[in-house]
Amino acid sequence: MKEKYFHFLCVAMVIIGFVFIGFLYVSEPRSLAEVTTKGQVAIGTYQINRAEFDLGLADFRRDSFPAARSEFDRADPEKRDPATQFYVAYSYYREGWGRFSNDDALFTQGLAAVNRVILLDSNFRSADETLVMKTPIELKNELEDGLKITTSDFNPLKLTRERK
Amino acid sequence: MNISNEHIEIDGEDDVVELEPAAIADISVYQTSVTKPRTQSSTVTYLLLPAIFLTAALLGGLRLGATDNAFIFLKPALVCLVFAALSLVLFFRSGLLDLNGWLADDNSTLHNAANLAILVTLFAATVQLYNGLLPEQGLPFWVVGFCFFWTIWNNLFADFDAKRLLRSLIALFGLAFAVKYLILANLTTSPTGSWWQRIIDNPGKEAFTWLLDLPRYSSGTGYIQFFTLTLYLIGLFLIPRRARD
Repeated sequence: MKEKYFHFLCVAMVIIGFVFIGFLYVSEPRSLAEVTTKGQVAIGTYQINRAEFDLGLADFRRDSFPAARSEFDRADPEKRDPATQFYVAYSYYREGWGRFSNDDALFTQGLAAVNRVILLDSNFRSADETLVMKTPIELKNELEDGLKITTSDFNPLKLTRERK
Repeated sequence: MNISNEHIEIDGEDDVVELEPAAIADISVYQTSVTKPRTQSSTVTYLLLPAIFLTAALLGGLRLGATDNAFIFLKPALVCLVFAALSLVLFFRSGLLDLNGWLADDNSTLHNAANLAILVTLFAATVQLYNGLLPEQGLPFWVVGFCFFWTIWNNLFADFDAKRLLRSLIALFGLAFAVKYLILANLTTSPTGSWWQRIIDNPGKEAFTWLLDLPRYSSGTGYIQFFTLTLYLIGLFLIPRRARD
């Protein structure tokens, strides 16, 4: 083989090697499976696991929220899909909602999830007809209102409100 | 030496042949190569060496989590880059590498780029080797770091040849490996159980872990770093003083 081919192969190998090492040290995968998933994200071929998502959606509709969230996590391990993350945020809202008081811990986690949706796609709009709130902004306002203590919290008529 | 009708073939450089002046114009002189074939040498220099150094660069910062063996990729501390730069100066000063033999005006751009790429992989591997051998934090980081600096600084002003430098590096890195992965790793408690449980089970280890701020990693980390160190030293052994033209 000609000497220049060796030189070319060497340069190509070093560039590819450094890109791969840089990718690993920046994305910090915790297992070989995560290397694949993060690689898919990096090259733009990442897709959610549709079967797990459907299972999660079924549990969400049965009000089995912790199970739904674990299925959504398996469907979207990289938390890159706005629709899945919207359901995760919504599940925190529905689980944390209370007629007398809300669960602040769950609402805070819901807020983090809905902020992820806004970062991923600020114009996201859910096509699910069973949800009252369709956009992450509506959900975010509801979660933020739920975390605040205001005079309206002491309004007895508030007991008649319904979960969205 | 082979003499045929029109050719004289000389093996080696020591043979001296005196010829009649009139015959010189009719004689062609060939020197047969007694070194290894060029392709084999190029394969080692341009394919094997970068592969070795890239692997060392990849694995040098890899640790395994104590509880779940999850990958933990640690970026090198700034001091590792300083040590690696000083080490490269040491390689050039001792004659292990000849800078003019790697980068020269006479070479083509691609040739120089390939040689530079190998030197960059050597630098990256050296950075990551220090990353692997230096304790991550606390007092051990400063003590071992100071020992590295002291040794490299002394070596910079000593008369070295390549062989002695290699021996010195094997001793230095071997000792650092033993300190981190044999001594300090054995002073670290496992993260299982509560704090009280660990104190009752092994008060000495728990005290050392707390005092020396030792991180807890899986035992597999030591095996990975041993492999990395071995690979790096093989790379140093294989690297030629000058890249071939």
